[in-house]
Amino acid sequence: MTEATAPERSALPLTPGLTAALLTLLVGALCLLLQPYAPWLIAYPAGWTLPATEWVGGGLETILNTIKPTVRWFSWAISFPMSWANWVLAGAPWALVIGTITAIGWHLGGWRMALLGLVGFGFVLLSGYWRESMNTLSLVVVSVPLAMLLGGAIGLLANEVPRLRNPLQVALDAMQTVPTFAYLTPLLLLFGFGPVVGLVASAIYAAPPMARNVMLGLERVEPEVKEAGIMSGATRLQQLMLVEIPAAGRQIMVGVNQCLMAALSMVIIAAVIGGFDDIGWEVLLTMRKAQFGQALLAGLVIVTFAIVIDRMSARLALERERFDPRVSWALFGVGVATAAVLALTGTATPPDGIFAGAADAVDQTLGTFTAANGTALDAIKNGAMFYGLLPLRIGLDEAVLPFTWGFQWTQSMSLWLFAAGALAAMAATLTGRAMTGVHVLIGVGILETGVANLPWPFVLVAAAALAWSSVGPRFAVVTVLLLGTILVSGLWERALLSLYLSGSAVAACALVGGALGLLAAVSKPAWAILRPLCDMLQTIPLFVFLIPVLMFFQIGEFSAFLAICAYAIVPMIRYTREGLVTTPPEMLEAATASGATRAQIMWDVRLPYAAPTVLLGLNQTILYAFAMLVIAALIGTTGLGQSIYLALGQADVGLGVSAGAAMAILAFIADRLVQGFAEDRRRVLGLS
Amino acid sequence: MKRTLATTTAILLACSAHAADLGATDEPIKLAINEWTGQHVTTHVAGEMLKAAGYQVEYVTAGMMNQFQAIADGDISATLEIWSSNVSDEYAKKIEEGSIVEIGDLGLDAKEGLAYPAHVAELCPGLPAWEALKDCAGVFATAETLPMGRLVDYPADWGTPGAERMAGFGLPFKAVPAGSEGALIAEMRASTEKKSPLFLVFWQPHWAMSAYDVQFVDVPVGNDDCFNDASWGPNPSATMDCGFSPTRIFKAAWSGMEDKWPAAHEILSNYQLAVEDAQPMMGAIDVDGGSVEDVVAAWMSENEGKWKPVVEAATQ
Repeated sequence: MTEATAPERSALPLTPGLTAALLTLLVGALCLLLQPYAPWLIAYPAGWTLPATEWVGGGLETILNTIKPTVRWFSWAISFPMSWANWVLAGAPWALVIGTITAIGWHLGGWRMALLGLVGFGFVLLSGYWRESMNTLSLVVVSVPLAMLLGGAIGLLANEVPRLRNPLQVALDAMQTVPTFAYLTPLLLLFGFGPVVGLVASAIYAAPPMARNVMLGLERVEPEVKEAGIMSGATRLQQLMLVEIPAAGRQIMVGVNQCLMAALSMVIIAAVIGGFDDIGWEVLLTMRKAQFGQALLAGLVIVTFAIVIDRMSARLALERERFDPRVSWALFGVGVATAAVLALTGTATPPDGIFAGAADAVDQTLGTFTAANGTALDAIKNGAMFYGLLPLRIGLDEAVLPFTWGFQWTQSMSLWLFAAGALAAMAATLTGRAMTGVHVLIGVGILETGVANLPWPFVLVAAAALAWSSVGPRFAVVTVLLLGTILVSGLWERALLSLYLSGSAVAACALVGGALGLLAAVSKPAWAILRPLCDMLQTIPLFVFLIPVLMFFQIGEFSAFLAICAYAIVPMIRYTREGLVTTPPEMLEAATASGATRAQIMWDVRLPYAAPTVLLGLNQTILYAFAMLVIAALIGTTGLGQSIYLALGQADVGLGVSAGAAMAILAFIADRLVQGFAEDRRRVLGLS
Repeated sequence: MKRTLATTTAILLACSAHAADLGATDEPIKLAINEWTGQHVTTHVAGEMLKAAGYQVEYVTAGMMNQFQAIADGDISATLEIWSSNVSDEYAKKIEEGSIVEIGDLGLDAKEGLAYPAHVAELCPGLPAWEALKDCAGVFATAETLPMGRLVDYPADWGTPGAERMAGFGLPFKAVPAGSEGALIAEMRASTEKKSPLFLVFWQPHWAMSAYDVQFVDVPVGNDDCFNDASWGPNPSATMDCGFSPTRIFKAAWSGMEDKWPAAHEILSNYQLAVEDAQPMMGAIDVDGGSVEDVVAAWMSENEGKWKPVVEAATQ
């Protein structure tokens, strides 16, 4: 992409990027021409696949059964802290728990944090889910230290043994991108039934942010500080423990914060297995009855936990200031006294929820709204399906039919479309933008065929070309090999469907999220509204939103598309705003001094400067979209997400792990591609 | 048929049999609580019976599909409502292993079939006769299925009985898997609110049957001939042109239960619950908002005759 910016206006230099694009175009055209004679170009023949899912299943089962006794011992050992935590939290009177949280809040952040703790946990109490919430909290209390230990160990290992750095990075990527549902079955087999499975799953998911922050923190320790340690004759261990880790303290605390949030977001996943009667289980039960109001209420309890924990642990990480412990003790004392009074008067049991009426009202409103706007909602859905999603999935040649667009797509229309594409490409080439021209042609080809019908040789070559131009030749080889494993394992068709669904969601998120981010960057009130919305969308269990989406738009791809967008749009908004807001003031001043208008500053200074950050946001959006695919399967999508869900139900270890791996492969490739482009942009801007 | 006979004999035998040992009354018997209300009712009734016999009972939440490993390990003692139409391969594996044993039918008379909320009959005149659907497909068409009608099938992991029926009857409908039970219910809610067309696969006993006034489509009763012989039924060239094979609802227990809690094993084996008893309790919980404990307790005190004999036969 570097080539696309500067030198290209001269004649036609055959840069590697352009060569790769032309090659892709050639393969695409060949496939298009040959497909009537060689149907195997489109549908990868079943005979060429290997029974990989069975092998994976068989192999894993043997391994799992071998290590099972050891692991069961671990499960037994970990069940003690679990039951202690549970005994303390669920057994303690609610007034005592609330008093303690308020006291901690005061110590960390004065009256603001104290109030946050009081109001937050007060809401939990009044929601009527106190017992379930404490069960959830005791899961988090045990899983977070576990995740911190695991993440810290990985981070230290990567820091001490540089050779292990790359493999460990890949392992961390896998821990974050393989959907948890995919490995729940093997975990269940290994650890036995119960909360331990949820605990381990959330530790696996929450460890990577910790590890990454430990690595980053240790890396950034000033060389002078390190040298001081060496000069005073410390051993490596002393140096690490006494000098480097304390110096990296702040970064590590950021890791702790991220780790807590990740663990909390896994609560609902752990509930699918059950065994714990926690708040996630409540969400699942209400979801099963399609009770939106009640599901929302239970979901908000999790959001409340997330906000309290996030804000308090962020204070722990960022602020050194601590408040008077005497006030904390006083607050704690009030908690103890209240608990004692309640116990003596015999009213210590948590009260029933007071929000049942409100929840019912929300539910009613949803029903009335659906009834009143049925036609409009149907029109929106049909419009999006006919003119957006369907053509993208199966191509114009199959999607344009008399009852969708009002006419039938014909062969000659295809020819006209290609002719128009070729003309545009010619025009672009003649004005010196050969790259754009080739991209237009490839785009037209994809639109005509549809993502789900793309010939597999074309996808392989296109992915390799992208990998080559954004990262390098080695990554191109890796890309082809990884995609090849999906191909031979027989999951290709499902992978393309997943690619189409998450791809279209990412595209929509990039456009809408980018625009919202821009808006938030220029207008303070807009950000004031968007920020809490973003917070909520990221922490509420997404199952909750499936209900209204389903009521409005029924089972199907459009609902799944919306559900994915609701989650994946958040990083796009956040990072776009972040990038635009952080333009260095001297650059802005220089632009203003040279007489640029506001619009010019936006387009020519702030946007280019923000590009790397925006690309990072896009990267996160892609990862989020893949993560949501599994949950969207509850709406009834096809593709890898459904396979993972199916495997969970059928306890099919092989299918679950293979489909999970396929999904991780797609996410991994997309992640590295975007990071490659971001790196390029940063180099162009002289930022790295 | 054979099975019903066997269960009936079992009950008769149990009534005349000698009382079994109570066994380990100091350790709680753990009963699985799955994701749906009907199962909660079934389990709580059984749990109360065990308590009446002098046992400690603990209810453990467990995902329907994921509970079998736990039962095989003895972490859960029994699960009391397994639907033969919706049971994972893992169950069969555990039965073969011998770590889980089946302990008879529950006696709940389930029915599954092609269904629709009552208001749909106005949109497609001629229902509940299945032939009416031939001409109504257009009414049920949506963006994803055009020009065919849309049938909302079970979630993919429960199998695809709806798709098979559409092929069997030769109806111009495309089956769309629902993804989850919540999705099915949301569809029903939306359809009832909007008075829009909906054609789906559903089952009873279920609280939504009465809440949304769900009706079954009339089809020939399912039987083995229909499933195997194409010439049987209204469509001479296809199998599956009939209703669903009757769903069996049964109970299963950890294989060690019989030794550890002999009387409890006997109680659970002989435990029966009829649709007429279960469905009103489900309604009292999901439609009227009662708690499972209260509703079950009320039923237990009003219907002692239905459960006391089973407990007494095992303990006295």
